[in-house]
Amino acid sequence: MKAKRLARGTLLGLVLPVFLVAWWQVAADREWISPLFYPSPSDVLERTWDQVLNGSLVDDTRITAYRLLLGFVFGAAPGLVAGLASGVSRVVRELLYPLATALYMVPRIALLPLVLVALSLTDTARVFMVAFSVFFIVYFSALSGVEQVDRTHIDTARAFGAGRTRVAISVLLPGAAPAVFSGLRVAMGFALIVIVGTEFLAANDGLGARIWKSYQIFDFVSMYAGIVAVTLLGVALAWVLLVAEWLALPWRRH
Amino acid sequence: MSSSAVAAGDLVIDGLSVGYGGAGGLRAIERLSLRVEAGSFHALLGPSGCGKSTLLKALAGLVRPRVGSIALPGGGSYAYVPQGSSCFPWLRADENVAYGLKLRGVGRRERIERARGLLSDLGLGGFARSFPSQLSEGMRQRVAIARGFAVDAPLLLMDEPLSALDFQTKVGVQGELLQLWERRRCTVLYVTHDIDEALALADRVSVFSHRPGRILETIDVPFARPRSYATLRERPEYGVTFHRLFELLEAP
Repeated sequence: MKAKRLARGTLLGLVLPVFLVAWWQVAADREWISPLFYPSPSDVLERTWDQVLNGSLVDDTRITAYRLLLGFVFGAAPGLVAGLASGVSRVVRELLYPLATALYMVPRIALLPLVLVALSLTDTARVFMVAFSVFFIVYFSALSGVEQVDRTHIDTARAFGAGRTRVAISVLLPGAAPAVFSGLRVAMGFALIVIVGTEFLAANDGLGARIWKSYQIFDFVSMYAGIVAVTLLGVALAWVLLVAEWLALPWRRH
Repeated sequence: MSSSAVAAGDLVIDGLSVGYGGAGGLRAIERLSLRVEAGSFHALLGPSGCGKSTLLKALAGLVRPRVGSIALPGGGSYAYVPQGSSCFPWLRADENVAYGLKLRGVGRRERIERARGLLSDLGLGGFARSFPSQLSEGMRQRVAIARGFAVDAPLLLMDEPLSALDFQTKVGVQGELLQLWERRRCTVLYVTHDIDEALALADRVSVFSHRPGRILETIDVPFARPRSYATLRERPEYGVTFHRLFELLEAP
């Protein structure tokens, strides 16, 4: 019964994607739409595969993944520490929260020129762009995670003799962990947007640069190949985060 | 506010006042005095919002009294079973039970062994490695109760631990709870709003007034142990005692 419903759900979910891809293929083959601007899915797949084989797509994916992951780690780690500290300590919160709120309001990509002025056209600048956008999302999710910890759990720990440090480690940290992980997932999505935007404007390599350059020389098949690659990169990283969450939060597996 | 420990003695609360929100704020407890005999099972009965929970929190060191004194029995060590779902969701049942032991520096092997023993006593032997989300509400409350007993404190503070359970489950857990207590004979202070529960469990029942809370009267429960939930009510004293407690709760 359950398996049947699941199978039906999967089938229904596939109807629209299959229909869209099929329509696109037919429309491009019959030239209802311009095959120059909208090459057929089979052309895109073929060219993507060619570019995988000649290594150029793989190189750009590696470069983008490197910037993305480095920026993610450099943003998430301090964001996590600052967010947890702000949740635990009123002094830290009153010090950081107003500035973090103000900076959070700045659209990240608007800072690119400033970052380029400061760090010039380097990978440091691109990694910083990612780290900067990841930091605030993780900061706020960790802070609200701590604030949402059940008061009863804190009281229980204190009544059993836990001091501030013990309460933080044994209650606030695990209590905030689910919120932190959902923050990390959101941050990964942001990081992907920011690295692609940054590479559009301020890079000669990487998937963002590849998509932008292909567009400028009307090589639309390569453009689609880049879009597919960056999407797959995003899916892979989201999946890595889900696995990490599954491993780190065993009490939320079922 | 002075807090001192009387070796192996009674729990003595004298002139305790607790409020929230400064001088003009809510007065939860006003000049409350109570002596709880060492090794007795003492129920605190009262309407909701009367300050029963606040009294337990003051005893557990979670809220600071404005005035008054508390003398805790047996070196001042206590265990606390709070109201509501208090199991840590991220710890397995045995780790939850062992939490207090861990804070007291008991080694992992020993504390898990003791925790599993207590879980078996409460009929949860097969669920030691389950997370709270995999247990029913009744099972979770038993885990919280086991966590309270695990540290073997001379004073056990329990705040309506069974109020969320259906009648049948409640009666079952009450029996298990009494068995654990009779083996240890620690002092139990047990908050409830349920007269039947107070009469089934306690040696003495203290009735709270409406807020600000103080003790209206303390009544001895005239039944020997072990008590049977089914036959208890057939005793003529049951109706009399029930009626007396009911009247006190109704008092303006």
